[in-house]
Amino acid sequence: MKRSLVVVACALALAATGCAPKAEKAEAASPKVFRFSYVSDIPTLDPQMGNSMPSATVAFHIFDGLTRMDNGAVKPGIAESWTVSDDGLVYVFKLRDAKWSDGQPIKAQEFEYGIRRLMDPAAASPYSFLGLLIENADAVNSGKMPVEKLGVRAVDDKTVELRLAYPADYFLGMLSMCQFCATRPDLVERYGKDFAATPDKNVYDGPFMVKEWAREDRMILVKNPNYWNADSIALDEIDILIVPDENTALAMFDAGDLDLVRVPPAFVEKYKDRVVYYYDGSNDFIKLNMASKGPLSDKDFRLALNYAVDRQDFVDITTKGLYDANPRYVLPQVAGVDAAYGTEYPLPGFGVRADVAKAKDHLAKAMARLGVADPSSIEIEFLTSDTDRSRAQAEIVQDQWQKNLGIKVVVKQVPYRQRLDMESKKTFETVFTGWAPDYSDPMTYLELWTSDSPYNHGSYRSAKYDEYVAFARKSTDKRARMDALFAAEKELLADGAIVPMQLRRESLLVNPAFTGVGTYFIGTNYDLVHADRASK
Amino acid sequence: MGRYILKRILISLATLLVLVTVVFALVRLMPGDPFSSEKMTPQVRQNLERYYGFDKPVLEQYLTYMGRLVRGDLGYSMKYANVTVNEIIAKAFPYSADLGLRALAIAVSVGLTLGVVSALNRKKPIDAVCVVVAIIGTSIPDFIMGYVLQYFFGIRWGLLPIAQYKGFAYTILPSVGLGFYTLALVSRLMRSSMLEVVQQDYVKTARAKGASRFRIVRKHMIRNAILPIVTVLGPITASVLTGTFVIESIFAIPGMGKFYVSSVQSLDYTLVLGMTVFFGAFLVTANLIVDVLYGIVDPRIRVARG
Repeated sequence: MKRSLVVVACALALAATGCAPKAEKAEAASPKVFRFSYVSDIPTLDPQMGNSMPSATVAFHIFDGLTRMDNGAVKPGIAESWTVSDDGLVYVFKLRDAKWSDGQPIKAQEFEYGIRRLMDPAAASPYSFLGLLIENADAVNSGKMPVEKLGVRAVDDKTVELRLAYPADYFLGMLSMCQFCATRPDLVERYGKDFAATPDKNVYDGPFMVKEWAREDRMILVKNPNYWNADSIALDEIDILIVPDENTALAMFDAGDLDLVRVPPAFVEKYKDRVVYYYDGSNDFIKLNMASKGPLSDKDFRLALNYAVDRQDFVDITTKGLYDANPRYVLPQVAGVDAAYGTEYPLPGFGVRADVAKAKDHLAKAMARLGVADPSSIEIEFLTSDTDRSRAQAEIVQDQWQKNLGIKVVVKQVPYRQRLDMESKKTFETVFTGWAPDYSDPMTYLELWTSDSPYNHGSYRSAKYDEYVAFARKSTDKRARMDALFAAEKELLADGAIVPMQLRRESLLVNPAFTGVGTYFIGTNYDLVHADRASK
Repeated sequence: MGRYILKRILISLATLLVLVTVVFALVRLMPGDPFSSEKMTPQVRQNLERYYGFDKPVLEQYLTYMGRLVRGDLGYSMKYANVTVNEIIAKAFPYSADLGLRALAIAVSVGLTLGVVSALNRKKPIDAVCVVVAIIGTSIPDFIMGYVLQYFFGIRWGLLPIAQYKGFAYTILPSVGLGFYTLALVSRLMRSSMLEVVQQDYVKTARAKGASRFRIVRKHMIRNAILPIVTVLGPITASVLTGTFVIESIFAIPGMGKFYVSSVQSLDYTLVLGMTVFFGAFLVTANLIVDVLYGIVDPRIRVARG
C-alpha cells in the first residue's frame, strides 16, 4: 500500500511539471503584429468549402480573387483588367503576372478549376448556390450536366472567360470571394481530403499566408512576400486567437493581449466613448408561414402583426440599443446605383414604433374575413432557438402582439439546428430568423422571396414580386433595375410577407496604435489589408 | 486472478460496444442535422449527403463505422472539414490531460492534507477553517470559481496571465479552478474517513501498546482511511483528465471539453461519436484499473466478485 501511494505521488508530481504543451517562443520586438480573437475556430480554409464569416475573413487575407473588395469598392485582384459584354453576360479577365506563395505562376486554368470545383456536385461545396448565376451552374450542380459545361473557361494561361445566366453587376464584387478564387489542381489531387487541412497543404496568393494553425487555439498569418502587391502591406503578422468566452476576450484586450475585440452588448455602456460600430450585414426578421390555412394566410393579419411590434423597444430591451430597429427589409448600406441603396431609396416601412391603431384596423379586417369575432380565439406559435437571448426576444414579441392585438401567442424554443430544420420543412407558423448578405446588392435579400426560391420557407407567392425580381435579373439598365428591386421590396412589405425586426450593429474596441483597420458587411468581418501600426 | 482480470476486460469491451451503438443511434435521432444552415438548399443538401455517405441505409453506415472503429479510425470531422477525429483528439487530449493532472495533483495533495489535519484537530479552529474550505469548494460552481480566480489574479492584480495555455504561469489559475471541487471533495471524504478510523479497535490497541502518535496516524489511521479515496479517484481522474468545457472556455484552452461541446452544437456526428467513444473507453479503463487494483489490494473482493 505504501509503495503504491509513493508511485501515485510520483506520477502526479511528474505530471504537474513534465508534460506541459510547448511554451510559445517570446515574440521578437519589432514586427507589426495585429491580434484579434474569435469565439471558435475557423471551420475550414479550403477556398470552395467555406461558408462562415471566420472562414471568409481569413480567406479574404490569404487569397486574392480576380477582383478584390476594398471597403465596398471593386479593385483589381489577380486580374489586372477586364471587359464586360454589352448584354452583361460575358466577362473576360486578363491576369497579371502573379505568383503563389510557393513561387509558381498563377494561371487562368486554376481559376477555371476552382470555379468548377465550387459547382461540382462530387466536391459537395456547402456554398455552391453562390455560383448559380453562372451559365449552366444549376444543371451542373444537380448533376444533369458535366462540370465542363459550366460557363467558365481558361482561354489561355492569362485569360479567364466567365459567362452568366443573367446579367449581374454585383458579380464583379462576388469574384473577390474565395469560393471563386484560383485553386491548385495538383495540390487538391495530392492531398485529397486533407487539402488545406494544415498550413503546408495549400498555397496562398493573397496578402498573407498561413504559418501556423492549432485548432481551437490559434492561427498565425504572416505577410506573403510573393503577393503581387506585397509592397502595400504594412503588417508582418496577424494572430487570430480562439477565446470562447467574450468576457475573457475583453479582459485580454484591456490587458493588451488583443488589438481588436467585440464588445458584448452588456459592456457597451462602459466602453461607449471608445467603441466603433459596424453593421455585419445580418438582418433579423420573423418569417411567417403563409401556406397554413390559419390567420397567417391573411394579408391584413400579417400587416397587423407588423404594426403591432415596437421595434425600438425590442432592440432597446434585448441589446441595450446596440442593434438598429429595422422598419424595412433590405440593409440600407448595400450598393445602390451611385450611392448606398438606403440613401437613394429611403423607405419608412412599418416605422420603428408600434402603430396600434393601424394594427387594430388591419386585425379587424382580417377577423371579418376569417369569420372570427374574438381576437383571443386566435392562437399563433412563435418558434425560436433555445438560447436565453432568444427567449428574451420571443417574450417581448409575444407581449407586444398579445397586448396590442389581444391574440394568443405561444413561444416554442428548440435547439438552433432543429429550428433551421423546421424552417426548411415548413413546419412552423412564425419563426425568428435572419439572413446575412452574400454580395452588396438588394438582390441578395430580395431573391429569397420569389416563388421558386429554395429559401422561401414562408411560401410567399406574388406574381408582381416575381416579375420585379425577374426584370431586375434581366435588365442592364442600372437605374431601371434598381427601381424594380425597390418596387419588389415595397411589394414584399405591403403584403406583410415578413416582419422585419433588426439590423445587427456590432461594437468593437480597436487598439488606437493601429490605423486602417476596416470592417465590412459582406464576406469579411475585419479588413486588415491596409492596417498599420504607428512606429514607436 | 487471471480469470478475474479477463472477465473484467470482457465486461469493459461489451460496455463500450453498447455505448457506441446507443450513441450512434442517438446522434441521428437528434432533431436537425449537421448540414442545417440558414443558406442550405435541397440541391446542396443532396450533394453533401452523398459526399458523406448519408444517402446509404443507416445499418450500412453503422457497419462501415464499426469496421473503421475496430481499426482505430474515428473518421473525418464534419465541422472541422478535412481533419480527422483522431487528429483532433491527439491534439486536444494532451491539453486536457495536462490540465487535469495538475488539478488532480493539487486536489489530492492539498485535499488529503486538509482532511487529515482537520480530523486530527476536530472541533478546533483549524478544523472549522478546513470545513469552510470544503463547503466553499463543493458548493461554488467551477465557472464562478474560474471567473473569480481570473478576475482577481489575472485582471485586478495582474499576477498571472488572464487566459491561454503557453507555459507554467498560464497553467496555475485553470488548474486551481478545475481542482478546487475535487480538493474539497477529497478533504471532506478524508476527514470523515479518518474520524471513523479513530473509533476502530486497532487504533485503540495501537495506542494501548504505546505507539507514538505520529506512528499511529501514519501507519494505522491514514493507511486505512485512504481506501474510500482510492474508490472515488478512478472516475474522478477520468472526468478531470478528459476535459472540462467551462474552465477550458474561460481560460481559452484548446482541450477536449471545447471540442466536445462545439461538436454537439454543430451536430458533427463523427466528432460527437469519436469523442464519446474516447471518453467511454477512458472511463471504462479507469474503472477497470480500479477493479483490478481492488482485487490486488483486497483479496476478499476478488473472491466475492470473481
